[in-house]
Amino acid sequence: MKYPYYPGCTLYSKARNLDRCGRLAAARAGFELEELPSWNCCGAIYNTNTDDLAAQVGPVRVLAKASQQGRRLVTLCAACYNVLKRANERLHATGFEQDRQRILEFVDEPFEQDVEVVHYLEVLKELGWDAIRQRVVRSLNGLKVASYYGCLMVRPREVLKFDDPENPVVMDELMATLGGEPVRFDFKAECCGGYLVINRRAVADACSLRVVENARTWGAEAIVTTCPLCQYNLESAQLRRGTVLTPVFYFTQILGLALGLEPAELGFEDNKLDPVPFLKEKGLL
Amino acid sequence: MKRRIGVFVCHCGINIAGVVKVPELVERAKNIPGVVTALDYVYCCSDPGQRLIRETIQKERLEGIVVACCSPNLHEATFRKAAAEAGLNPYLCEIANIREQCSWVTSDRDAATEKAEGIVRTMVAKVSHDQPLVRLGVPIVKRALVVGAGIAGIQAALDIANAGYEVVLVEKEPSIGGHMAQLSETFPTLDCSQCILTPKTVEAGRHPKIRLLTYSEVAEVSGFVGNFRVKIRQKPRYVDLDACTGCGICLEKCPVRVESVFDRNLTRRRAIYRLFPQAVPNKVVIDAQHCRQLQGKKCGVCAKVCPAQAIRYDDQERIVEEEVGAIVLATGYELFDSRRLGAYGLGVVPDVIDSLAFERILSASGPFAGEVRRPSDGRVPKRVVFVQCAGSRDSNQGVPYCSKICCMYTAKHALLYRHRVHDGEAVVCYIDVRTPGKGFEEFYRRATDEGVQYLRGKVSKIFRRGDRVVVWAADTLAGKKLEIEADMVVLASAVVPNPDGVALARRLKIPVDGWGFLSEAHPKLRPVETLTAGFFLCGCGQGPKDIPETVAQASGAAAKVLAMFGQSELYHEPVTAVVDEEICVGCGNCERTCAYEAVRVDPHRGKAVVQAVMCEGCGACSVACPAGAINLKNFTKQSLTEMVDV
Amino acid sequence: MSSQDNSQLVSQIEELSGQRVSDCYQCGCCTAGCPVGELMDPPPSRAIRLLQLGRAQELLASEGIWVCASCLVCGTRCPRNVDYAKIAEACRALILRAKRSQVDPDVVDDQDLQDVPQQAFIASFRKFSV
Ligand SMILES: Cc1cc2nc3c(=O)[nH]c(=O)nc-3n(C[C@H](O)[C@H](O)[C@H](O)COP(=O)(O)OP(=O)(O)OC[C@H]3O[C@@H](n4cnc5c(N)ncnc54)[C@H](O)[C@@H]3O)c2cc1C
Ligand code: SF4
Ligand code: SF4
Repeated sequence: MKYPYYPGCTLYSKARNLDRCGRLAAARAGFELEELPSWNCCGAIYNTNTDDLAAQVGPVRVLAKASQQGRRLVTLCAACYNVLKRANERLHATGFEQDRQRILEFVDEPFEQDVEVVHYLEVLKELGWDAIRQRVVRSLNGLKVASYYGCLMVRPREVLKFDDPENPVVMDELMATLGGEPVRFDFKAECCGGYLVINRRAVADACSLRVVENARTWGAEAIVTTCPLCQYNLESAQLRRGTVLTPVFYFTQILGLALGLEPAELGFEDNKLDPVPFLKEKGLL
Repeated sequence: MKRRIGVFVCHCGINIAGVVKVPELVERAKNIPGVVTALDYVYCCSDPGQRLIRETIQKERLEGIVVACCSPNLHEATFRKAAAEAGLNPYLCEIANIREQCSWVTSDRDAATEKAEGIVRTMVAKVSHDQPLVRLGVPIVKRALVVGAGIAGIQAALDIANAGYEVVLVEKEPSIGGHMAQLSETFPTLDCSQCILTPKTVEAGRHPKIRLLTYSEVAEVSGFVGNFRVKIRQKPRYVDLDACTGCGICLEKCPVRVESVFDRNLTRRRAIYRLFPQAVPNKVVIDAQHCRQLQGKKCGVCAKVCPAQAIRYDDQERIVEEEVGAIVLATGYELFDSRRLGAYGLGVVPDVIDSLAFERILSASGPFAGEVRRPSDGRVPKRVVFVQCAGSRDSNQGVPYCSKICCMYTAKHALLYRHRVHDGEAVVCYIDVRTPGKGFEEFYRRATDEGVQYLRGKVSKIFRRGDRVVVWAADTLAGKKLEIEADMVVLASAVVPNPDGVALARRLKIPVDGWGFLSEAHPKLRPVETLTAGFFLCGCGQGPKDIPETVAQASGAAAKVLAMFGQSELYHEPVTAVVDEEICVGCGNCERTCAYEAVRVDPHRGKAVVQAVMCEGCGACSVACPAGAINLKNFTKQSLTEMVDV
Repeated sequence: MSSQDNSQLVSQIEELSGQRVSDCYQCGCCTAGCPVGELMDPPPSRAIRLLQLGRAQELLASEGIWVCASCLVCGTRCPRNVDYAKIAEACRALILRAKRSQVDPDVVDDQDLQDVPQQAFIASFRKFSV
């Protein structure tokens, strides 16, 4: 199976490991990600003002491009997933027809078909956990993993319709499939502080530390996420505080590890908080 | 020969006369063919008004009258009675509704007068064709069925039985008492729930006029008001009720342990069990799902130890048939499943429990014999947060209505907690505190006076930190977010109708509201009747309420049943469907259309047959009949044509 | 600022956000659940209260609307389905459209440029600067 794929800006730079492991692991899991031939930034954050059409142009262009490649567009970055899915839903909202026309005036590419924005995790789930389990070559060996979804994967609930908004489980199911022990915790979908890290760092750190602490309370040894900003915030807040450090991975790194990617392919050198000693200790490297 | 018809125009004070030009209407009415007299009066429904109608009927030798006034819902009966007193057949009196359908919906006086005349003409046309009719008499079976034996059903059953009539009391659980049996002490007086309930359950259990069917459900109801046939399904209990002495030896020997729903999963019971020690009937029951023997494994311990030899592993479901004249629905409530409020952590964060679980903890027969301890480790909690509106008043994740009782039972919970844990801190997070009941405000004040801390703000999130429970709350009076670390959290979950009650109502086509609560026939004036004749309601199945209100409503429903039983027979409106057998082709459209199952096609003769006492006179069949063979009395094709032709 | 100007502002905010402030019954759940609620002044429920009272100017002048992380927890749990994040966004837009940036892209820390994911910069600039 081949899917049109939108990596987004961050996955081309600071979250290269999220992207690379995602592509390589896909091949091992039995599907292929075909990057859109050319694409632009989705805007990174969705604008909710009812009159703000300019902010819609970027994501809509991405969707138009995708429509030429296929019916479903796969994303990996939580922010891109959120923005593209919301822009897509607004594009088709009733009462938005006139605005839709105005936006499309700024989009050169025609829409070949309606596009559905899906997340990599949803593709995995469709493949079936059993199918993936069969391809596991290195079991996580009961590693206690907390799956952290953050805000962007689940809210707004009525648009994203991704899992249970307070207690999403897809990533947990994946971790169980890979031989890990998913840890339910109370902050799966709480905020890490997001972009406040730029101008209100202490606030963002406090948010992130709460997430880590709650995961530890429930027994987590490691955390996985699918958002570059969550990954960064959770790690750097711990580094700034400097005590009891819990490694934070992209789920694609752990997926890649279990599906047998080479250590060099897993991009651990890009994690701020070097997870290699931890993985060695757990017998996973 | 045209009938001699009289028209009476009511002013209804200024309700009608303020808009419709009454004198003009009277003059116009006089010109309608057949009308021999037209009069107006300020309040026709008053005594002098009725006298005027009676006297005019006699003086003018009227053969039909039209009263132009308010809706027939209100005064049709009044004027028909007046007509009857003057010697006129009451069905030759018709109402022209010129208030709800005319003066109340416009301020244009000319248009209103015009329309009023049209309405009057229509009804004159109708009354010209009306036939004199006689009410149908129906005998009454003077026995009642009460469904649900919580305090509502028990009270209704006792009131009816004590008036001398037989009652069949059906309860789906193995014993009676409903939720009141789970409660500890009751607001606002703090008397012990079991102590005030047991005399009632015992009386109901022993009453010679009450046939108690526990572990039973209503399977089917047929017939009509005064004459229902009911099939009741008795679930297999696997214990012979007559033989079992309730000694309880089996309860100690059964090897299986299952979470006790009665104790809100805080304790475990055996596969053979009794809901609680004071249960009525005080007999055990086997939970077939968990019984080893009944699941085909080797066991049979209870049969071996039972000194009365009461165990019956081969017990079967039984159907009991009963005939009753009235049915009281008292199916009660359940708590909203607050696990659906994902952020509140119920069921996952240790020591977050719901309000009924806390009642069990407070109860002397509960998991800790009345001591307040927390479920996770049995420690005495030193700070407890009570979360109000867990699901209530929440159009997003819960139910939009107010559950009415939670403010009071939460005040009670906080107070009782403080009585048992003197150095404990009780914090109540609330949106509003609502205390509109006798002694309620005083009770709430007592809670605050005795040191319960009230914080105004709805809780957003509850999570675990080490062995404590953290609550994210707010103090909206100070405009601040708050984080409270506690040892235990109690959720005041919303009250929802018992799902089995809702399912039953749906099966019996008894109207319920959008949330499944039974709808009353009129929200103010007929609060204990349903819209289906012969069905009455009481208790929390109709809406959330406390015990005093439940009991009052139950006695109200019983009084309605008794008022019916006090009559020698029931009367049924004679405006029913009649079949013209010459035209009827037996296609069955009427049968499929009728919501009351009042018409059936006789398979032998191939003709539709109406059972008049079941016909509600809605007229749906006459619309559905392609041959025009079925008509409502006094709504013939001819009169309808003339009514719209005026 | 006259009360008429203020009420016009409230309508503008309502239109831009698609939210009705009269829907809010001031339960405070939004404030309770806001991850940055301790530091937000006014916190969400208070902010909506200001709008209910027609004191829009006061809210626009406040610090609170700039602290929101757009996590959307407030709206997700609001029992009355009010989305404060959208209201805050509308308030910020009114100020940003008057060309008053809160974060200056020209003074971003160099080390941060190296470390922090692009996503954060773009989001921050989109939310806080002209
Ligand atoms: C936590 C809590 C604390 C409370 N504290 C107080 C208090 O201190 N003071 C006070 O006044 N009130 C209190 N109440 C309210 C009180 O519980 C109710 O007012 C009362 O129990 C209502 O009685 P009921 O008979 O209407 O309903 P229920 O007690 O629910 O009884 C209904 C019965 O009908 C049965 N049933 C349902 N459907 C069917 C069916 N289809 N067929 C057969 N049987 C059926 C059920 O099994 C049940 O036995 C409290 C409520 C709660 C939740
Ligand atoms: S949660 Fe909703 S109703 Fe409650 S104060 Fe906030 S906006 Fe208002
Ligand atoms: S969206 Fe903003 S105001 Fe709402 S909870 Fe998140 S940070 Fe707080």
